[in-house]
Amino acid sequence: MMIPYILLQIVLMPAVAALIIITTRYITGRKAGFIAGGTLIYTTALLLIAATRIYHGEIIFEEYPFGPKINFNLLADGLSIAIAVIMNLCCVVLAFYSIHYVDHRIEKIYGDVDERTWRMYYTRFFFLFPFFATGFMGIAFSTNLLAMYFFMELLTIIPLYFIMAQFGYSDFIERYKVALMCLFWGVAGATVFFIGILLAYTHTGSFEIASLSTLAGDPIVTWVILLMLLGLFSKLAIFPLHVWMPWVHAEHPTCIAGLLAVYANIAVYVMVRVLILPLPDDFKVFSIPIMVLALITMVYGSLLAMAQNDVKRFAACSTISQISYSVIGIAALTVWSVEGGLFFFLCHIMGKGILFSTAGMLVYMTGVRDMRKMGGLAAKMPITAICWTMGAMSLSGLPPFSTFVAEWIMFTGIFMYGTHGPSIVLVIAIIAVTAVGLTIAYTFWSIKRIFFGPMSPELANNDKIRDPPVLMWLPILILGTISILIGLYPKFILDLFHLVLGGI
Amino acid sequence: MMLVPVEVAWLCFLFPFAGALLAPVLARIHPRLRDYGALFFSFLGALCSLMLVPYLFHLDKLPLESAFVWLTVPIELNVGVLVDPLSIVMANVVAVISFVIMIYSLGYMKGDPCLTRWWMWMNLFIGSMLLLVLSNNLLFLFIGWKMVGLCSWGLIGFYYRDERKYWIGGPPPTKYTVPSHCGLKAMVVTSMGDVLMLGGILIMYSYAGTLNILELYETSAVWLPEMAKSSGLILLMIVMLLLGPIGKSAQFPLHEWLPEAMAGPGPVSALIHAATMVKSGVYMVARLLPIFFYGYWVSGCHEAIYFFLIVAWVGVITAFVAATQGMTALELKKALAFSTVSQIGYMFLALGVAGLTISSLEGGFTSGIYHLFNHALFKACLFLCAGSVIHTAHSIYMNDMGAIKKFMPFTWIFMLIAALSLMGVPPFPGFWSKDAILASSLATHYYLLFSLALITVVITAFYTTRFFAMTFHGAKSKNMKDLEKKGAHLGEVHITMVVACGALAVIIVTCGLIGLPLEHFFGHAFEHTLEHLHLPIVHAEHAMPHWIVPLMSVVSVVIGIVPAYLFYFSGKFDPKSIVENNSLLKMLHKFFWNRWYIDSFYFMFFVGGITKLYTFVPKYIESPLDKFFHKIIPSIPQKLYSGGRDTLASRYGQEEVKGAPAERQPVVGISLGYALLLVLLCIALYLIVMLIRGGL
Repeated sequence: MMIPYILLQIVLMPAVAALIIITTRYITGRKAGFIAGGTLIYTTALLLIAATRIYHGEIIFEEYPFGPKINFNLLADGLSIAIAVIMNLCCVVLAFYSIHYVDHRIEKIYGDVDERTWRMYYTRFFFLFPFFATGFMGIAFSTNLLAMYFFMELLTIIPLYFIMAQFGYSDFIERYKVALMCLFWGVAGATVFFIGILLAYTHTGSFEIASLSTLAGDPIVTWVILLMLLGLFSKLAIFPLHVWMPWVHAEHPTCIAGLLAVYANIAVYVMVRVLILPLPDDFKVFSIPIMVLALITMVYGSLLAMAQNDVKRFAACSTISQISYSVIGIAALTVWSVEGGLFFFLCHIMGKGILFSTAGMLVYMTGVRDMRKMGGLAAKMPITAICWTMGAMSLSGLPPFSTFVAEWIMFTGIFMYGTHGPSIVLVIAIIAVTAVGLTIAYTFWSIKRIFFGPMSPELANNDKIRDPPVLMWLPILILGTISILIGLYPKFILDLFHLVLGGI
Repeated sequence: MMLVPVEVAWLCFLFPFAGALLAPVLARIHPRLRDYGALFFSFLGALCSLMLVPYLFHLDKLPLESAFVWLTVPIELNVGVLVDPLSIVMANVVAVISFVIMIYSLGYMKGDPCLTRWWMWMNLFIGSMLLLVLSNNLLFLFIGWKMVGLCSWGLIGFYYRDERKYWIGGPPPTKYTVPSHCGLKAMVVTSMGDVLMLGGILIMYSYAGTLNILELYETSAVWLPEMAKSSGLILLMIVMLLLGPIGKSAQFPLHEWLPEAMAGPGPVSALIHAATMVKSGVYMVARLLPIFFYGYWVSGCHEAIYFFLIVAWVGVITAFVAATQGMTALELKKALAFSTVSQIGYMFLALGVAGLTISSLEGGFTSGIYHLFNHALFKACLFLCAGSVIHTAHSIYMNDMGAIKKFMPFTWIFMLIAALSLMGVPPFPGFWSKDAILASSLATHYYLLFSLALITVVITAFYTTRFFAMTFHGAKSKNMKDLEKKGAHLGEVHITMVVACGALAVIIVTCGLIGLPLEHFFGHAFEHTLEHLHLPIVHAEHAMPHWIVPLMSVVSVVIGIVPAYLFYFSGKFDPKSIVENNSLLKMLHKFFWNRWYIDSFYFMFFVGGITKLYTFVPKYIESPLDKFFHKIIPSIPQKLYSGGRDTLASRYGQEEVKGAPAERQPVVGISLGYALLLVLLCIALYLIVMLIRGGL
């Protein structure tokens, strides 16, 4: 099926929807969520159409020149389309999930307000929300480094900063403080990345990603990679640049938490697209150091997660640990580990979307965030318990969830490198695979802490505690099911990846 | 006999999976439909497995595969089912016993409010277990492996509310444990083994380039010697590969989760923690065995022998350690759990000795799997009977039972049959297989292995007589008297429970009567498989007369039974006072009761260690880092901006900015700080870049 400007539509439609929502805010009101969600469903459909075309060997390329050296050309190949489909899917799910959740946030922050003010706040959220999709799709499809940088900054400033500042958890001052902190980390990371771009430009004279490969072998390339990596590491929350993550995750409204995991983890895609694909040989020096850093982060994040009592901070620390899995895979630089690492990224964002949103359901229904005060909730909230268990299984890489396949393929690559390469890699591989055991320990421990055992009298006597409205849990269950289906049939995504990454 | 197409093997696990998925749907229609539906799907699974049995009479047609392409890139993987004698035997053990236990649970779980969840977990378990044993490749085997672990977690912690009546452990001062904790413990301990096994599989894959089991066998002549070139790599792979089975089958040193797994409902203990899941480790070892046998005895890779040494020693140590613990257990199910651990140790021993000499392959392999088969039958029966007894006595402790024989005559006879089999009394099945294991280990001339195994036979006879007598014979306990006074229903429980136990008892007796021919039948089937893999089958020359080992085994059983009879059956001696009066016995009792202090050591070392680590990390690493990034760094530009008038800490967030409303003051201050910081960062980086460019 030929659809004109298909990629442009995918990138711009959410922004258009956002503008419609904000201009008609007093009319749309409660429908804003459905408008945002509907638009995202439309773009997901477009993405699927594009994916089928690419699966059959086509490459979609659209040119949108903007000025000298800068353009917004969009390229969809096997790699970007697979990533884009899953990211957009997470956006769809969370858009629908937010419909009730934002209502709840407004009530908590602003109290009882009149209908007009309420509409203003409510639509404000859904005005900001679609920019996530625009930013993610932009990063996925950009062929120009400046365009990519633009979308990175767009993500940090518009949806992330403003949503956190407006709909966050703590009091006004704390909320803005954390939002600013997040903004700073985001901008600082992007800036370092940007300086790497500029340094590369001084040698290539072009901002195109494709032209980066001309740098291969040039002594400057090490510095370019180092600067870009530094920027990406702060996004990926690699130890010791992870300190922002628990703060930010604890602060923002839970309905965008899953997308924050995407926001952080998308940097692995950038890493593959901008550094590994054009400069595979020059990147090799960094392979083992990155693996070591990722390994430290993996274990460190797990230990940090175990120490948390707040469900949201718990999930944040788990994100720190999980992102490093995809990083370690990509750093091993074998075809299996890179494909597995990117696949892990997709599975992780789905799993984290499930887990975080379930944390949101808990907060929504019980008003409690402290795991020590929970316990025995499975009796009152069975569906929530199922959702959380699904999230836990997905994060721990248990079959039939797709994470299992991703971990399998990724570790195949790492062990392949380890047994045929330096023995330090084998040691790293064994410790890394053992660290999966830590993930299982903390996720299943959290199930026990939240859902099993006796219920505290406070919760037991509260009749209002039950499963949240269907519009909240259904999208999450659907996301879980999709993750299972991809786990049972991973061939589609892996075939798409292989079109681009097969040559590594 | 008519042979079914090999594709039937798919249905073995697809039916139970369908049953698990349909349970919530059927529950909407009618609860009874859900119950019988679940039963029906597990019946279909059992039926499909039984349909594969005729292949055992047509060995020349085996092995058979049916597979489809699951992945082509980056790993080529054809997944499917493998039908060979080992998988047929395993599938039937699993499917048939599962079905019997499903019938039993119809009565046992009657009236439970969470039955939908129950049936889903049970059918999911049966399906996953069948997937594990029928898979033709290590990936799907591992998927089944992880999923049975998950089901085990879900079913141990089935009573997730941790009500007092479901606690196990105790009596004080020994601590109690709640079901949800037990589930978590099982999950974490076995997962640690699992992930390392995954590592081992991947190391193997990195040399073999395939995950298909038959291809691994065929190509092992190439890749194992290739691997032997890096010294130590094969040993590393063997250790990692074996940690999975050791964890899953609760072998020393990862055996400590199984006694706690008894927190689950009775049928779960029977199905998962006695008959099937805990055997998957044995199955895995048997699957890998041909590779290493060929590697050592044909290809001459010296490190391959460690596979057999580790398996044999782990097995015999576990058999002994667990049996000693079984002598002091007070909870009926826990006594059985120790016994399970110990008996699986025998299976490991058998598979280990299979490779210690070139001639012990067939004997060791057959006796190991034959014991697995027999043990699954009699241990399932023991657990089901124990479930009925506990149901009647309303207590998990054996000293709350006593003289139950007259209330439950059927259960008594069924349990007696199973207990005799466990002890190894001829002609019950346990005798045949245990005898075969002893004979194979003696033939290897590893006399220490053999003696430990023989001592364990004595202990087994002792603890079996003990738990049987304490439950059914001896004096009536206070608890039983109270129950009688209260007019509680004391007697056989639900009809389905009696029928299920009876069915197993009948199978046990039949298998016992045809024990020797059955053993030969198994031996013939496995020999055919092993020969097919080009393994050298050498028949041992027996130096000693054939009757020596059976005689030793029977004598050991009698040595074990006599004291236990005097203590617990006849009541002529009081075991308590004997132990109290002898300081050595007292010390030993305490040592065994505390499970050799292994559990407490693990708790202290691992749980305590991790707890220390995860309290250390936030306090001494995270919080200083946080301070550095979020307090000290932002305060630097602020300080510069305000001319350094103030100390760092007091400045943070307290800057007054003209024109901004009072409540926004701090926010504006911080944003200015951050903005300045960003400018500084850019300048610094720009300078660095200029320096680099200048320097190059």
